[in-house]
Amino acid sequence: MIVAEDLVKEFTVHDRRPGLAGSLSTLFSRRHRVVRAVSGVSFAIPEGTKVAYIGSNGAGKSTTIKMLTGIMRPTSGTCRVAGLDPHRERGRNAANIGVVFGQRSQLWWDLPVLDSFRILRRIYEIPDPVYHRNMATYEELLDLGALGTTPVRQLSLGQRMRAEVAASLLHDPAVVFLDEPTIGLDLVLKEAVRELVNRASQQLGTTVMLTSHDIGDITAICDQVLVVDHGTVVHQGTMQELLRSADTRAVLFDHSGAVPPERAIALIEAGLDAVRATAAEGGRIKVEYPAGRWTAQQVMSFLLEHFELTDCFAPEPDLESVLRRIYASPSGSPDELQGSTA
Amino acid sequence: MSAATGLAGLRRYTPFAVGSLQTMLRYRSTFVVNAVTATTAVSLQVFLWRAVYNGDSGSGPGGFDRAGITTYVLLAQVLGLLHANRVDEEVSGEIQRGDIAVSLIRPVSYPLTRFCAGVPVSLVNVALVGGPVVLLYAGLLPLQRPGVGGVLLFTASSLLAMVIAFEVNLLVGLAGFATTNIWGIRIVKDCVVALLAGQVVPISLMPGPLAGAARLLPFAGLVDSPLRLLLGEYRGAGAAAGILAGQAAWTGAMTLLTALAWRRAVRRVEVLGG
Repeated sequence: MIVAEDLVKEFTVHDRRPGLAGSLSTLFSRRHRVVRAVSGVSFAIPEGTKVAYIGSNGAGKSTTIKMLTGIMRPTSGTCRVAGLDPHRERGRNAANIGVVFGQRSQLWWDLPVLDSFRILRRIYEIPDPVYHRNMATYEELLDLGALGTTPVRQLSLGQRMRAEVAASLLHDPAVVFLDEPTIGLDLVLKEAVRELVNRASQQLGTTVMLTSHDIGDITAICDQVLVVDHGTVVHQGTMQELLRSADTRAVLFDHSGAVPPERAIALIEAGLDAVRATAAEGGRIKVEYPAGRWTAQQVMSFLLEHFELTDCFAPEPDLESVLRRIYASPSGSPDELQGSTA
Repeated sequence: MSAATGLAGLRRYTPFAVGSLQTMLRYRSTFVVNAVTATTAVSLQVFLWRAVYNGDSGSGPGGFDRAGITTYVLLAQVLGLLHANRVDEEVSGEIQRGDIAVSLIRPVSYPLTRFCAGVPVSLVNVALVGGPVVLLYAGLLPLQRPGVGGVLLFTASSLLAMVIAFEVNLLVGLAGFATTNIWGIRIVKDCVVALLAGQVVPISLMPGPLAGAARLLPFAGLVDSPLRLLLGEYRGAGAAAGILAGQAAWTGAMTLLTALAWRRAVRRVEVLGG
């Protein structure tokens, strides 16, 4: 459904030197610098997939989305959305896609939400049954009717964002791009927005591409993740595969012996090198071990041997720490990561 | 594209006109400000020019008599309202805020949506501000009474003028892709248009070479052409047709130019960040 091949976007920026003297000299000589926001991204997203496009700030997520939505022309490389070149066939592509930019409104600022919807209905030539079905869904999930005749500019961020997401789905797009769709929403509203997107994808097989800094959005909506770093894709696969690529695992346990926590920690760290043990709340002890160095069996048999375990659990590696490691690693690491997920 | 599908396509643009009208009607104070500005400008111009033509009982400079020059400057201001479609301001603003991104994800042509959004602004300004101002002065001062033919020609010419004004403003707005100092460009544009359109000084009163040059430019089509047609300032039906043809030619040329400028602009859209 969405295909990118060697997608590159470069920007030319004017270098401005600091200070007054610098500003003065910029008047007479300008230096240009080419910034590569996206460097050779390739991926293929099958129809009906809900993919999270994640990467640190400045990783080129928004730029990629802008190329896929036809707003910007790639410097080189190609992309196709539902078989169309988004920039060259912008109008036709626009009819297929829905877009939410968390930081920009696509509603008519001075009009009530329902008027914006009426305008969109005409622009996208939405058939009556589709329009009424979707409006009924929004009424149920988002309580849009309650917004009444208040112009969009007077709505709260939460009210507006609900309307933005609904507006992007109004014409039953085949692909929907969500760029930070739940920014500034409280938990209940986040839930409503996620439910709305999930319902559309369930009923219509909508392909979803989401960028978000909210791990909750990603896990609630997406079944695939695409991790981009320094402008290149470093991981594509399921969320499970990504989490499994975590290089440390953890085990938490309670024990009934008389060993005080400090001694227990010292014992573990001495017995298993490169392992970090910490006291967790409730008298529990948390053991973090490098996955390459020790197997779960080795760690568990060590613990069984030295402690009388009364309770024990191993939490799933959390996405944030996995991502943190990916972002922090120098550019050489992607190969290693891909190797471990293959 | 057949005429039927063309019409169906155009129907997609009507909501932009309706939406813009709705938006406009929400801000009543705009009309008040526009009315005050227009009335002040008209008063200033009318009394200045009537002083210039004081004592000219018959035909004065440029072939105007007192009623004729009064009618000219009054309607020149009304045409100014017709041209104040705010497209330059809105387009450049959208570019600078980066909201142009949102306009680009809609399955419609941006210049056409802008045109459809600009037309009601122009027409409503003329109807709600221009109309009362004309009525006010018609009651106060003697005006030149045009014939039916003149009014028809004037209407056709004003519609072309509205399109040219839209195109000039769209081009200025699109300059927002190249520079952030759109304010300066708009000031320059306003001055150039006011002078070369014949809004501050009728082109008939300019020195020969300047008048000739001004009439070759598209700006003359904004004020000079419609008012010459209204006041019968031409010789024979052929000359009237020539004025309209000149306007139509510029409308076509400017349409091509804006289409080209828009195509070039879209290729260099760069929305950094957000």
